[in-house]
Amino acid sequence: MVKAQRGKMKAQTLLALTLGCTMLLSACSGGNGNNASNGNTNASGSTGGEAASGEQVTLKVEVFDRGNSPAGSTITNNYLTKYVQDNFGTPNNIKVEFVPVPRSEEVQKLNVLMASGSDVPDIVFTYDSGTFYRYAQQGGLTDLSELLDQYGSNLKTFLGDDTLAYGQYEGQQFALPAKRAHLGKYSSFIRQDWLDKLGLPVPQTTDELYTTLKAFKEKDPGQTGGKVIPLGMSLAPAQFEPLLWSFIQPVTEEQRYTLTQQLGSNDYPILLPGFKDGLQFMNKLYNEGLMSTDFSLDEDKKKLNEDAAKGLVGFFSEDDMNPFYPDGLYATLQKNIPDAKLSAVDVYTDSEGKHPKPEYAPVGLYLMIPKSSKNAEAAVKYLDWMASGDNLLAIQNGVEGENYTLENGIPMAKADATDEIKNRIYNWGDMAIISNGKQLGETEKNVESYVVNMPEQFQDETRKALSVSRSDTIKPVLFDRPIEAQAKYGTALRDKLNEIVVKTTMVKPDQFESAYESMIKDYMAAGGQAILDERIKAYEEMKK
Amino acid sequence: MNLAVYLRRYWQLYALLVLPVCYFIVFKYAPMYGILIAFKDFNFFQGINGSEWIGFEAFKEVFAMKDFYKTLRNTLMLNFLDLLVSFPAPLFLAIMLYELKTAWFKKLSQTILYIPHFISWVIIGGIVYQVFGTQSGMINNIITSMGFEAIPFLTDKNDWLITYLAVGVWQSAGWGTIIYLAALTGINRELFEAADVDGAGRLRKIWSITLPSLKPTIVTLLIINLGHMIAIGFDRPFVIGNTAVRDYSDVLSTFVYRIGIESGQYTLATVVGLFQAVVGLVFVLGANYASKKLADQSIM
Repeated sequence: MVKAQRGKMKAQTLLALTLGCTMLLSACSGGNGNNASNGNTNASGSTGGEAASGEQVTLKVEVFDRGNSPAGSTITNNYLTKYVQDNFGTPNNIKVEFVPVPRSEEVQKLNVLMASGSDVPDIVFTYDSGTFYRYAQQGGLTDLSELLDQYGSNLKTFLGDDTLAYGQYEGQQFALPAKRAHLGKYSSFIRQDWLDKLGLPVPQTTDELYTTLKAFKEKDPGQTGGKVIPLGMSLAPAQFEPLLWSFIQPVTEEQRYTLTQQLGSNDYPILLPGFKDGLQFMNKLYNEGLMSTDFSLDEDKKKLNEDAAKGLVGFFSEDDMNPFYPDGLYATLQKNIPDAKLSAVDVYTDSEGKHPKPEYAPVGLYLMIPKSSKNAEAAVKYLDWMASGDNLLAIQNGVEGENYTLENGIPMAKADATDEIKNRIYNWGDMAIISNGKQLGETEKNVESYVVNMPEQFQDETRKALSVSRSDTIKPVLFDRPIEAQAKYGTALRDKLNEIVVKTTMVKPDQFESAYESMIKDYMAAGGQAILDERIKAYEEMKK
Repeated sequence: MNLAVYLRRYWQLYALLVLPVCYFIVFKYAPMYGILIAFKDFNFFQGINGSEWIGFEAFKEVFAMKDFYKTLRNTLMLNFLDLLVSFPAPLFLAIMLYELKTAWFKKLSQTILYIPHFISWVIIGGIVYQVFGTQSGMINNIITSMGFEAIPFLTDKNDWLITYLAVGVWQSAGWGTIIYLAALTGINRELFEAADVDGAGRLRKIWSITLPSLKPTIVTLLIINLGHMIAIGFDRPFVIGNTAVRDYSDVLSTFVYRIGIESGQYTLATVVGLFQAVVGLVFVLGANYASKKLADQSIM
């Protein structure tokens, strides 16, 4: 008995001991992590002055992973990463390392990465201005004004003041926004062969569009057997934004500044006069069966693309020239239905007969250098390198004579290049982070370079679509200070906006009014009011 | 017996213990440090220690949010309905399987029934869209081809609820039977033979022998399930839910995801997480106490 008791006591002491040991173990492993990062900072700290002669610096750069690396290369090891290493890294004694982040979860992953403290890349980026403001506000970013003057003269010229203004927070340059080559956003497309078959003209206004959609529905020119979707809709901005914006009434400058709500990176007209009419129009189309029934399930336009490629959709709006890419929507549609003809059109009209639609801010990614980075200098040098000489051209287009030939100053992709050569630049868009789209010095050239790189049979329509996307555009509103409520509530409200669109569209017409009222009330309570108040205040102060 | 002898004799047992204890420390106890975030104005560039204390400010903010109550209600509602539907399902299945006499058929059905458990919710979500879609879903294609009107399984909130529950049963019922079947193997066969002699029919035997033998297992599982009343998995409502049914599909876990991971408001997200944990604890203790009083069964 006594023995057993003693044994039990020993067991207890030992259990405590084991616990202690394991705790020690876990503490040690934590310590190891710290040591590793300390080692890193030491290594990089000593190379501040003379980059070339000192110890090698490791520069970590975020890169979007779209899971589309061709066989034989990975997102962190491919032709372009080698190009960067050979032409920028090695000459400057910098080891450039790429840190992949899945494109579809960029904000979430970046938040996690930044919160983890260690192992944050030296260059991070996001498309979401709210995220940028939040980082800046919490003091997590390096002020780049001086570094830019010191090491980034090429970069400064390339980006220009308009674009740089978007990266300022309370007077400090906390981000370097990428420069956007082409500001057009949306265009619309109609099945020309359906119109021809029915002997209808191309609709010129929203009213005419309604008549056309009805004809599509009743006469089913595509012989879809009742499956026709006159208006292709989804829950992605490209489908509902052009429609809703076209209902917005002419506004004063003050209204535009105060009543617009910026959620994420886009401006939304939720409080502008006319928004309700737009929703009501969607409600009408939905209840008359003129619109995709399951649009509320389709946040990534997958279903819409599928339906349109199957030849069920008569009319839809999309990102400027999206349907025309090789193996894209139009190509698949023609494979399925050889006589299908898709035309770029500008239909949605406002009360003044114009075709208003939003355009992009002149920025793309917000490039940021976390405060914890010890390689801010190398990071700016990297971006400056990219903006200097022919480097950007090479990253975006590959090797002259192998990947492309220059015609009138516009690089033309060589159609007969082997896949291996084409694959060199499969992710040029994600590597050329200082630019959004191809940069050739002027917008007309940039746009034309998009056109000539599309499949030949689609080039005319691409040109048309791009000019549609650039006409009657509404510029985004930029305050001289960040609207904090937008950073705080933006993401949640973006979901609420989707809810507003879905609910008000899908209710029976007689319930539209009450659904709209309650949804807007909910929206305002969840942060919309806070944004409105702050914007009014910011506008008043700006006008003083 | 001195320590050295004791160690030499039993060291293997302690060696076995090291890993599980490590697991609990690293994954269950160490993260509790993060609870501090709920009481701080968390700035992730300064870390937990560097952030300022704000007391119960964040709790006030959360409890003033309309969405919090909506998601709380939905969490309880979905879990309660799930308990009603998904809890008895494996029990019925297990009893039916137990009654099967053909061994190969029993094995086959069991395997087929628990395959769904191994399919990730993301994939199930894809299947659900294909099967239940209003415009092009399989079931609605059949319904419309017979001349009836399509049923918005995914976009009407009440229909969605049924879809959500049905998919849950399909996914989990087969797997749930395993525990019951294990318990059933423990029943003394002589009891059935005696009942046969007394002339008991099949239903009588199920009612008087099988079910009472399963009672401890049922109670234990019920207590565990009640403890999870306030916690809800993230994948299922997130994947099967959509904007049209936000009124029902928005639950605490998706709410935490939205304000925490998407909007970067970690303090508020932690508050909700802590709230869930506390309420969950109350539920477990309550259920345990009740079952001790009522059925003399408990897990503590």
